[in-house]
Amino acid sequence: MSEAAPLLQVDGLRKYFPVRGGLFRRVVAQVRAVDDVTLQLRRGQTFGLVGESGCGKSTLGRSIIRLQEPTGGRVLLDGTDITRLGRQALLPYRRRMQMIFQDPYASLSPRRTVAQTLREPLDIHQIGTPKEREHQVSQLLDVVGMSARVLNRYPHEFSGGQRQRIGIARALSLKPDLIVADEPVSALDVSVQSQILNLIADLQREHGIAFLFIAHDLAVIQHVSDVVGVMYLGKLVEVADATALYSSPKHPYTRALMSAIPQPEPGSGRQRIMLEGDVPSPMNPPSGCPFHTRCPDAMAKCAELTPQFTNLGSERSPHAVSCHLYGHDS
Amino acid sequence: MNAQPPASDTIAAPPERRESLWTKAAYKFRRDRVGVWSLAVVLVYMAIALGVVFGWWATSWAELEGGKWEPPSAEHWFGTNIIGQDIFDRAIYSTRTSFEVGLVVAILATALGAVLGALAGFFSGSWTDEIILWFMGVLDSIPFILFVAAIAYSLGDTPYAMHVAMISTFWITAGRLVRGEVIKLRGQEYVEAAHAIGVPELTIIFRHVLPNTSHILLVQATITFVAAIKSEVILSFLGIGVKDGMSWGLMIAESTQEVLAGFFNNFLAASVLLFGLVMAFNLFSDALQDALDPRTVAES
Amino acid sequence: MTATPLLKVTDLAIEFSTPQGRVRAVDGISFDVYENETLGIVGESGCGKTVTGLSLLGLIPSPPGRIAAGSIELAGRNLAKLDEAAMREVRGGEISMIFQEPMTALNPVFTVASQMTDVIIRHKGLTRAQARREAIDMLGKVGIPAPARRLDDYPHQMSGGMRQRVMIAMALACGPKLLVADEPTTALDVTTQAQVIELIGQLQREFRMAVILITHDLGVVAETCQRALVMYCGRIAEQAQIEPLFRSPRHPYTHGLLDSIPRIRDQRLTQLPTIAGRVPDLLNLPPGCRFADRCTRAQEDCRTAEPELTQAGQSAFACYHPIGHQPAEPVA
Repeated sequence: MSEAAPLLQVDGLRKYFPVRGGLFRRVVAQVRAVDDVTLQLRRGQTFGLVGESGCGKSTLGRSIIRLQEPTGGRVLLDGTDITRLGRQALLPYRRRMQMIFQDPYASLSPRRTVAQTLREPLDIHQIGTPKEREHQVSQLLDVVGMSARVLNRYPHEFSGGQRQRIGIARALSLKPDLIVADEPVSALDVSVQSQILNLIADLQREHGIAFLFIAHDLAVIQHVSDVVGVMYLGKLVEVADATALYSSPKHPYTRALMSAIPQPEPGSGRQRIMLEGDVPSPMNPPSGCPFHTRCPDAMAKCAELTPQFTNLGSERSPHAVSCHLYGHDS
Repeated sequence: MNAQPPASDTIAAPPERRESLWTKAAYKFRRDRVGVWSLAVVLVYMAIALGVVFGWWATSWAELEGGKWEPPSAEHWFGTNIIGQDIFDRAIYSTRTSFEVGLVVAILATALGAVLGALAGFFSGSWTDEIILWFMGVLDSIPFILFVAAIAYSLGDTPYAMHVAMISTFWITAGRLVRGEVIKLRGQEYVEAAHAIGVPELTIIFRHVLPNTSHILLVQATITFVAAIKSEVILSFLGIGVKDGMSWGLMIAESTQEVLAGFFNNFLAASVLLFGLVMAFNLFSDALQDALDPRTVAES
Repeated sequence: MTATPLLKVTDLAIEFSTPQGRVRAVDGISFDVYENETLGIVGESGCGKTVTGLSLLGLIPSPPGRIAAGSIELAGRNLAKLDEAAMREVRGGEISMIFQEPMTALNPVFTVASQMTDVIIRHKGLTRAQARREAIDMLGKVGIPAPARRLDDYPHQMSGGMRQRVMIAMALACGPKLLVADEPTTALDVTTQAQVIELIGQLQREFRMAVILITHDLGVVAETCQRALVMYCGRIAEQAQIEPLFRSPRHPYTHGLLDSIPRIRDQRLTQLPTIAGRVPDLLNLPPGCRFADRCTRAQEDCRTAEPELTQAGQSAFACYHPIGHQPAEPVA
């Protein structure tokens, strides 16, 4: 558990979806959902991944835990490359990485009781005796703040927030080292949202689980994250410690994203950076910097050269930005 | 508003709500008057069929009890046929035949369709799917009567040629429906969650996906039931259906001679009973479909 | 505000019949909307805000729903009493609505042109060519580039933000007096959301219409509305101008809601403020104040009788023990 060996190391991960067309269903194009993403995550740390819909953040999360097969690149969990493991070889690693889903109405099997849902992972991985599993299921509910009396109920009897708690309990059941949480609160009401965010933050502190926390909302991300990565069109554009990123966002896209959040303070009179147009199609991403078509600070070379990451922070606390504004190549 | 809130009407429900998808459907079904009546008619038919199975009535359907073409009387309610058999008994006995064919075909065809459809849907795009789709296409393109005749011929003298033929063609509709639904369901997050846990694929299909198509399967089974009853009558009429038993189809076949001679009892008894059952079952099936359709569930 | 209200909703109650019994999704709410103002209706899911919006256009699905009591007066005419044919004239003419998910509100098999011109022809009695010119004009106003070309697109050929713009253009095509916008930006990305909020505000000023903005997002309300109602469990908890509502909320629910919004802070908090518990079941409401079980200020009287909405200072609120106020002397 040294500084040098992170729990999760993602190297140049790519996930392309083929677009088929024509008479023989040939591949006519590629959607570059995730395009050369590199990131790392230490034990017990939370990486907040933020971006707008279609930027590939969900695909990245799913590719990391092999819910989708990556097209290229490597994912190292504790030093082992898991991208090429077969089903059997992957099983022990499945136990160590779990997922929390966005839609509490779709993430629980509608015809299975809470007990059945929570027992399944324990049964599959044969953890403990059947008696112990039963006990463990009740304990899991307790951890997420629910009573064991609900064990024999079906998902539709619960509210969105309660379902999300059950989903979290399922992810915790295998005592994973890493949890990918894909927009876990975006479908919930505001008052419930903060309950779930607090629960996740507590779990992370108490159990030392590392989280890849995916969200479109920078405010939500701030509450849970140690490190934040901003994604645009399949690429990370800025990665930094949460404090650094929120106090001085560097990439023009991060800045626009921050200023676009409606603030619950009337007449706050902020100057909003209004982006023009829509996100370009990932099937046909712009040349050079992917953001140059909407960037308020775009220069001539942005359309031609793909920017490289520059570290604007220190060695200990890197602040990586991929933008020509900060390049030192001139 | 007074200090006392108007309690009675809004707090009528029990404190703990335990409504499943099925109780919701049952609630909607109960409010559908046509559906309830049609179910009652179907149940009466079923009771008649069960009575035949247990030997409570229509035991003497094959015996020669009277003269040729006797008119209805207290002894023979629908009269007698050309060789003096009781038409009422024969019509009642045929109810059992219909139910037997209907149930066997509906259950087996739907089950087969469910399994193959689920496999095709879950692995859609793979060779498993291709093979199952190819099978569906081939079986679908053979003319039905020809297919039954071929199976009857190849199976020799068994009374089950008709069943085999119907099951091997009727599963296709159920299979297509389930395949479509499974393609929709396999992208659901709870299926992803099962993958993430490491649940084997076949277990995912039968534990997490297929149970969620049960409403489709139930409706499809009732539709198949009606189709099987109608097909049995047609096949029996043509002489490639029921061999040693009695069926409305055989009665109608008998009556072709009689109708020319002006005797309609055999024909009327069989066709009225058949019509009643098919009609009731169709109405029941429609009502069931409405009740199970989540889109018509009242939002609360 | 001295002018007569454009829309006057009085004691509106909307009921739904469910397998477990009748449920009052909206239970006796009253509010006014004036010309040229934006009123926000805020609340969490199930509070009745969407149903309220739908009722203004006679769009409550019936059965199982129905308006059980109250009136909805638009410029003196009671919409709650109109039949479907008369309501159809009002809908899209005097009152328009835009929805959360533009893809489901637009018909996928028709082009934008045919859907827009149909509306214009029906309400304005123009020829098809004239209607087409108006449609192009409208699309231009909502900021769609090259509107003459985009007019013949199908909805699926457009992005989410573009579709929401088309929805807005359609809703405004006949110059409605009142626009009901139900979560118009919830399905959109933040950067697109900012564009659409800006657009609605700009069009509201240009057309001088009244807008009712239904949303769960207090940030959106703060940036677009002049006044807002906070709904809880089918009732109005608090109603006030935006300034006092956000600066000094009186109802504990409003306060809790404002507090629990995740917002970018200078310092990361260890615990976000929350509202404990959850919304009660409409079938099984507690006696007294509906918020009492989750309220930190609740006392004995809150659990016996329901507080009425009363005006005090700059806000109207339904609470016995409002924030920023010493508890009143018990009345003998």
